[in-house]
Amino acid sequence: MLPAAPLHSRIDVLASLREALLAFVLALVVFGPVSGLMLSGYKVEPHWLRPLLLAAVVAAGRFAIHLLGQTPAGRRMVARNQARVHGGVTVAALGQSPNRARLLLVFVLLGAFVIPFLPWLPVPDALAALGGKYWLSNLILALIYVLLGLGLNIVVGLAGLLDLGFVAFYAVGAYFLALGAQYLGIGFWTALVCAPLLAACCGAVLGFPVLRMHGDYLAIVTLGFGEIIRLVLNNWLEFTGGPNGAPVPPPTLFGLEFTRTARQGGTPIHEFLGIEYNTNLKLVFTYLVLLVVVILMVRLLTRLRQIPMGRAWEALREDEIACRSLGINHVVVKLTAFMMGAMTGGLAGVFFATYQGFVNPTSFTFFESALILAIVVLGGLGSTVGVIIAALVLTLLPELLREFADFRVLAFGLLMVLMMIWRPRGLIRPQRPAFAPPQEVAR
Amino acid sequence: MKKAIQRAFAVSLLAGAVAFGVGAHAADVIKIGVAGPMTGGNAAFGEQFWRGAVQAAEDINAAGGVNGKKIELVKADDACEPKQAVAVANRLVDQDKVDAIIGHFCSSSTIPASEIYAEAGKLQITPASTNPKVTERNIPTIFRTCGRDDQQGAVAADFILSTLKAKKIAVIHDKDTYGQGLADAMKASAAKKGAKEVLYEGLTRGEKDFNALATKIKAADADAVYFGGLAAEAGPLVRQLREQGSTAAFISGDGIVDTAFVTAAGGPQFSKGVYMTFGADPRNLPGGKSLVEKFRKAGYEPEGYTLYSYATLQAVTEAMKATKSTDGATLAKWLKGHTVNTVMGPKAWDAKGDLKVSDYVMYQWDDKGGYAELKK
Amino acid sequence: MDWHILAQQLVNGLTLGSIYGLIAIGYTMVYGIIGMINFAHGDVYMVSAYLTAIAIAVLTGFGIDSAPFAIVITLALTMFITGVYGWSIERVAYRPLRGSTRLAPLISAIGISLVLQNYVQLSQGAKPQGVPTLVSGTVRLGTETNFVQMTYIQILIVVVSFAAMAALTWIIRSTSLGRQCRATQQDRKMAAILGIDTDRIISTVFVIGAAMAAIAGVLVTLNYGSFDFFIGFVTGIKAFTAAVLGGIGSLPGAMLGGILLGLFESLFSGFVNTDYKDVFSFALLVLVLIFRPSGLLGRPEVEKV
Repeated sequence: MLPAAPLHSRIDVLASLREALLAFVLALVVFGPVSGLMLSGYKVEPHWLRPLLLAAVVAAGRFAIHLLGQTPAGRRMVARNQARVHGGVTVAALGQSPNRARLLLVFVLLGAFVIPFLPWLPVPDALAALGGKYWLSNLILALIYVLLGLGLNIVVGLAGLLDLGFVAFYAVGAYFLALGAQYLGIGFWTALVCAPLLAACCGAVLGFPVLRMHGDYLAIVTLGFGEIIRLVLNNWLEFTGGPNGAPVPPPTLFGLEFTRTARQGGTPIHEFLGIEYNTNLKLVFTYLVLLVVVILMVRLLTRLRQIPMGRAWEALREDEIACRSLGINHVVVKLTAFMMGAMTGGLAGVFFATYQGFVNPTSFTFFESALILAIVVLGGLGSTVGVIIAALVLTLLPELLREFADFRVLAFGLLMVLMMIWRPRGLIRPQRPAFAPPQEVAR
Repeated sequence: MKKAIQRAFAVSLLAGAVAFGVGAHAADVIKIGVAGPMTGGNAAFGEQFWRGAVQAAEDINAAGGVNGKKIELVKADDACEPKQAVAVANRLVDQDKVDAIIGHFCSSSTIPASEIYAEAGKLQITPASTNPKVTERNIPTIFRTCGRDDQQGAVAADFILSTLKAKKIAVIHDKDTYGQGLADAMKASAAKKGAKEVLYEGLTRGEKDFNALATKIKAADADAVYFGGLAAEAGPLVRQLREQGSTAAFISGDGIVDTAFVTAAGGPQFSKGVYMTFGADPRNLPGGKSLVEKFRKAGYEPEGYTLYSYATLQAVTEAMKATKSTDGATLAKWLKGHTVNTVMGPKAWDAKGDLKVSDYVMYQWDDKGGYAELKK
Repeated sequence: MDWHILAQQLVNGLTLGSIYGLIAIGYTMVYGIIGMINFAHGDVYMVSAYLTAIAIAVLTGFGIDSAPFAIVITLALTMFITGVYGWSIERVAYRPLRGSTRLAPLISAIGISLVLQNYVQLSQGAKPQGVPTLVSGTVRLGTETNFVQMTYIQILIVVVSFAAMAALTWIIRSTSLGRQCRATQQDRKMAAILGIDTDRIISTVFVIGAAMAAIAGVLVTLNYGSFDFFIGFVTGIKAFTAAVLGGIGSLPGAMLGGILLGLFESLFSGFVNTDYKDVFSFALLVLVLIFRPSGLLGRPEVEKV
């Protein structure tokens, strides 16, 4: 709670210094042994400078924050942040979304479709690189995470069920393509249709017994399920290939292949079209299909939130008892959310398997679930736009941070903490779509 | 309208010129990507890769470089995750525009990444991925400077059955690509010789309590334990076996070639007597001696794959010198037809990209925390 | 089946379970008081393992080689520093999030977990580390070849965990601090109105939880002699499972859950299959929760309207 000091009190530098000193001592205790004494065999080597440096940084930061907190501007900032923290979900204004937003949307979509063709267009190199192999593959990965985020958003954001094992459905989708290709000879397109259905069934099977549970118990049970699926995939050597994983065939389009030479009995697309072979072709294709799927998914989600089922999800999240008293079958409602989420996860899995050309259980660890959850929370629980932005940020950021090499994951973790402090409700405040009763009924 | 087109054309021409300028500058050096786990649980191996390659690049550059160009290394971290391996492979090929790649470490990273290098026509040599599948997928541009798990498993099986004359073998692995592959290879070659294991179990990586497994091994009355895995799990396993009074011989692969194994086992009193298979130690080769001194002077013990990485860069540059090219297919063709003198002795490759001669031998850990080749 | 094998597996399970229980206490206390899953707790335990090795290395460097003395000093130092870790983490990453959404601290905790793992890896290297054997010696029952054994350290682990659990239960039940904890747990706002410094109480709980993790860290390090920066995650998940199994929020429940999980793992691994040991433990958890949705000793949640 904020001290109720008058706005124009004097700035007490001494107090800030005192705080900084305290922080310095604490930081020395915390960082001192682990970073200052490096284990080597059964002896330690001292590195005195490292903890001193770390502690100095901490102290300087503490000093700056404390000093800023005393200025009127700083206080206003804190107050604004507090207000933001304690605000809830708002309802969007009724009527058409503003034209400016629509225009922006059109531009973003257009841009997204143009990206893969940039290397063929007369644009500056820096821009063309965006459509190059490296960024294109990163964008594919980012879009996969958008899909995953959207799926988990249904479960956690809309229905309010904390799911820590979402990665299980992702694995089901990915392995369906890999193993289906191996045993049944199915291809990318079959998997694209069947995998989500299978994942949804898995969601129903797993969801049914556990949906009676509350909040955090549900969390640990889903975590358990996620781990069980991963462990089975890892242990069942004869069927899944175990830790060696399973290869995934490259995607095809009506029998046309994207590899240099035909591997699956079709014709390579560059020969069909009479153009020069380009390693980007496969990526461009995957990217475009994925983009269309993501757009369809977003559209579907927007509509879902407006029909009774979607409204029931959100109502159940806000007050389960009230909903049950009003006659909503909470198990069915939760189950639909769980299945919808699982379906999206399975869809993402198919694209992931295609992207990587190879699946193995190390891609489906708990860390992955945590990352997807971070996307949903960071995006603002329940906000579709927020989830998309957060997915792009969280997948592209580590790539941008690659320059920092060793400090990459450390910086990523720090950013997660800082983001939560700065915007605990996520980047975008979720808005519930407004609902206008039809005129006849209102009358 | 016409003006706009003209302008666009001019801009693109300018952009092209800039790109060409950059390209001309980049051509002064030969870029080599060093890909491996620089972070995460296997970061120690990534460091070995990097140290070895850096030293090799320094020495080669000091001797005049390759075809008049200097070598520049690009560090690439895959954390031993296939997902990241694909990302860094694309980055190395597309952004950094490397001419050849040394890496990756984990076979599960090497396999998906190799598809990307192959599509881009780049030479890839892994100093450490021993899984047979790495070179079994008809990719002409992939090589390795280490042996294969099946070769390693065969040497171990032969040792266990002929030298140790073990009757009851327990096979333990860590459920990971490397560990399980190695354990299966040894199991298969033991089976060929008519020996069947009494126990075949997988433990979980990252755990430290294997007491239940140790009791089980003891209950099965095994006189030899073969472990496919890394030092972090091998150490506690061997300690807990010994603590429970088992005296079974403990044999493992090149995953425990690291003094960290002794630390993880809780001291030489537990790690002594443990056998392992590893390539002939480059540190004992005549060519390696002075190099090892150089590393030690810099305060770094060139363990494990450090010299493999050094030798790999030597192989890459030798091929580039001989062919005056950086094209993957040309380099691959040359490497398959010639023998390269590296710090680890002469190396030659077969049509798949595997070493023609695998030089796995048995080592044994002593009671001072060091290891030495086992005299026949 | 030989009796000594079964008995040995029970001993193995009891030791492992006691360790799970000690760490589970940290999860359960934090969950009890502010209702959040402290995902960084496993990594606090990991840090304490490193602190143990550093303390022992420094002590032997000073020439202190009396084992009991070294262990006591190491324990005190590690508990203190790990306690400071617990306090700082709560202050930096959780307190600013009090009163925001329920998931915000969870994400923050995952972030802290990543930070701790990578901070330790960057400063100490990725290699597995270890400590020399300070205490050796075992109690063996049975014949020369067929025996059941328990090392001194294993006995120490079991005794200390039960003592710690009993002491904490007593503190929560009977002391003024315990009453304040329970009041804060029941209704934080009301407790604050009645003059309880709830922030201080929550900090104290975090410090106690971290100290328990430190005890576990010291004992485990002495027992297995080896650790790396990843142990926090693997053991943390198991300990958390134990806490939920026993009924999260209940101290005896954490211990019970830990011991049960340890025993089941050990028996399953010993007599069925090591590969599927973890599948079995998670399946067990799911089954228990389906039939007893609040865990074994947890109080059923009362739905308030």
